[in-house]
Amino acid sequence: MKAALFSPVAYHGNASPGWPVPADVYSQESAAHSFNTALDRFRLADEIGFDWVTVAEHHFSPFSLTPNPMLLAGALTQVVKKAKIAVLGPTLPMLNPVRVAEEFAMLDTITGGRVVAGLMRGTPNEYVTYNVNPEESRSRFQEGLHLLRMAWTEPQPFGWQGRHYEFRAISVWPRPVQKPHPPIYMSGSSPESGEFAAKNHVGLGFAVTTLPLATKAAAHYRTHAEAAGWKPTADDVIYRCAIHVADSDEQAQADMANMPPQRRFSISNPALEQAVAGTSYYGRDFEAQRNRVGRPGAIRDAVENGQILLGSPETVMKQIKRIRDDIGAGILDLIFMHPEDDKARRAIEIFGAKMLPRLHEME
Amino acid sequence: MSFQEKFVEADGFRIRYLEAGKGEPLVWFHGGGGLQLNKMHELLAEKRRVVAFECPGFGESPVNERTNSMAELAGTMGKAIAALAIDKFCVTGISFGGKLALWTAILNPEKVSAAVLFAPAAIRPPNTRPPTDPAQFRAMLFAHPERLPPMPPPNPELARKSIGFAMRIIGPDRDADMEARMKECKVPVLVLLGTEDSLIPTAMGRHYRELLPDCHVVMVYDAAHALDVERPEACAAVTDDFLTRQDKFVVSNERGVIFP
Repeated sequence: MKAALFSPVAYHGNASPGWPVPADVYSQESAAHSFNTALDRFRLADEIGFDWVTVAEHHFSPFSLTPNPMLLAGALTQVVKKAKIAVLGPTLPMLNPVRVAEEFAMLDTITGGRVVAGLMRGTPNEYVTYNVNPEESRSRFQEGLHLLRMAWTEPQPFGWQGRHYEFRAISVWPRPVQKPHPPIYMSGSSPESGEFAAKNHVGLGFAVTTLPLATKAAAHYRTHAEAAGWKPTADDVIYRCAIHVADSDEQAQADMANMPPQRRFSISNPALEQAVAGTSYYGRDFEAQRNRVGRPGAIRDAVENGQILLGSPETVMKQIKRIRDDIGAGILDLIFMHPEDDKARRAIEIFGAKMLPRLHEME
Repeated sequence: MSFQEKFVEADGFRIRYLEAGKGEPLVWFHGGGGLQLNKMHELLAEKRRVVAFECPGFGESPVNERTNSMAELAGTMGKAIAALAIDKFCVTGISFGGKLALWTAILNPEKVSAAVLFAPAAIRPPNTRPPTDPAQFRAMLFAHPERLPPMPPPNPELARKSIGFAMRIIGPDRDADMEARMKECKVPVLVLLGTEDSLIPTAMGRHYRELLPDCHVVMVYDAAHALDVERPEACAAVTDDFLTRQDKFVVSNERGVIFP
C-alpha cells in the first residue's frame, strides 16, 4: 500500500458562517500562517517517505485556501522532492479542459513525471463559483476527460467539436513526461462515476464517504471494469480519511478528547444545495448520494465507519487493513486532523516511523 | 429543406443525385453503404446548393463492373459534376466517399475550393475491413444507437452489391500513389474523425496532417463512424465554417458579449 498526505490548507483564523463565506473578518496573517503550516507538513511528509502529497480545489471558503490547486502543486514542485504530487483535483466541469491538460503537463515536466491527475466534479456549491449549470456536470466532466486525454497524447494539432467544448487547434506544450500520460483518477462514489471510470480505464478515489459505502461503490467499479475487459489493481483505488495516531490508544483518545473547539468552516449552503439537488447532479442514486455522510456524529461512530483512523500504530494498522480488505484500496490519502500543530506533526512522525514501512509491505 | 431526386448522364453512366439549396455548390459522396441523407445535409443546404451523388454501382443502379479504382470513379464523378455545369465547388464525403472526395480534390485542384473528409477511408489501419455481421456493422457505425430514431433495415441484396463494389475498388490500406499525390495537393482540406470510430480511428488524422500541405483535423466527440448521423449539428457547423473561411476558421468569430 501507499500513503498520501492531504491538506486542504484550512484557514487558521476565525470566519463568519455561511457560503460563500464573507471575508469581513479576514486576516492576512492567518492565511499566510495556514500556507506555511501546510507547506511544512508537505515537506515533512516527503522527508519521512510518504508516497504522495495531495491537494484539492475548493472555493469561497476558509475550509480550503486552494481555489487553484495547480498553483499550490507548482509551489510543491520546489518543496517536495521525492513524493508524487497528486492534484485531486481540478473541478473539471467548471474549467477549460485544455488549460487543465497544459497545467498538468507543466507539473509533470517540472517534477520529471511525478504528477497524479485527479479530476473532480466539485461539490454542489462549486457550480455557483464559475456560474456553471450543475445539470450539465456529468456531461461536461465526461467530455472534458476525453478531451484532456487526447490533448496529452495526440502528436498532431487537432480541433475538437464537442457538446460543451469547441476548439479549432490544440497542441499542448510541454508534453507530459509519463507515457502515455499521468495516471488519472476520478471521484467514484456514485454508480455512474464508477461505471464511467471502469469503461474508460480510470482510477477511482473515495472521499467524504464511509467504509461500507466505499466498499459497495468499489465492488460496482470492479464489476464494470471486468465487463470492460480489465482488472483494477490496488493502485487504481484511493481512499481518503482523517487520522490521528499517538504512541498509545489511550494517548490518541485523550488527544481527541482534549482538542480545542474545532472551527467548522462551511463549503455548503442548504438553499443552494437544494437547488443543485433539483438538477441531475446527484444522478440515479439520488438519496444515497445526497445523504452520503450526513451530519458529523460521535468520533466512535466515525472510527467504526472508517471515516477516522484513531489510536496507536497497532490499532490504526488494523483499521487500515480493513480498508484494504474491504475496498481494495492501495492508496490511503490521509488528513492529519488534530488542530494543534505539535500533535499533528507528532502523528505524522509516528506514522512515518512505525507505520509507513509496514504499510509499504502490505500487498 | 426537401431534396429533389434527379439524374445526370456522364461517362456512359446514368447517375442519380439528390439536390437542395442555393448558393455555392457542395458535392457530397456517400459511404460504402450507399446514399442516405440526414439532418446534417439539410443544415448544409440552408446556405449552399448541396448535390449528393449516388455513385454508379450503388443503390438501384446496375452493377458497376467497369470502374476499377477510386481515381477512375473520381474521374467519372468529375464528369457528372461538369455535366451539371458546376465549375467551382467544394467536395465532401464520408468513409468510401471521403476517399472519393480526396481523389476529386487531387484531380481537380483548380475547381475544388475546399474539401471536407468525414472519417475518410483513404488511409486505414492495417487489414481493417467493415464487419459483415449486420449487428456488428451497426455497432461500428454508431456510438449511441439508442439515441437515434428507428431506421429501416437496409435491403440486404442492395447492401451486398454496394459493399462488394466499394471493397473491390477501395484500394489498399495505404495507397502509395494517392499519398504521393496528396503531398502536391494544394486544396484546403478538413478531416473530421469520430472519437468513438473503431474503423477509422482518430490516429489516422495524423497521416493527413503529415501528407497534405493544407490540412486541419477536427475530432467529433462521442461519434462513431457515422459521425454525420450522430452529431449532425456539430458536423454541419464546422463544415460550414471551414468552407466559408477555410484556414481562417481557426480564429473564433463567436461573439462573447452576453449583455450589450
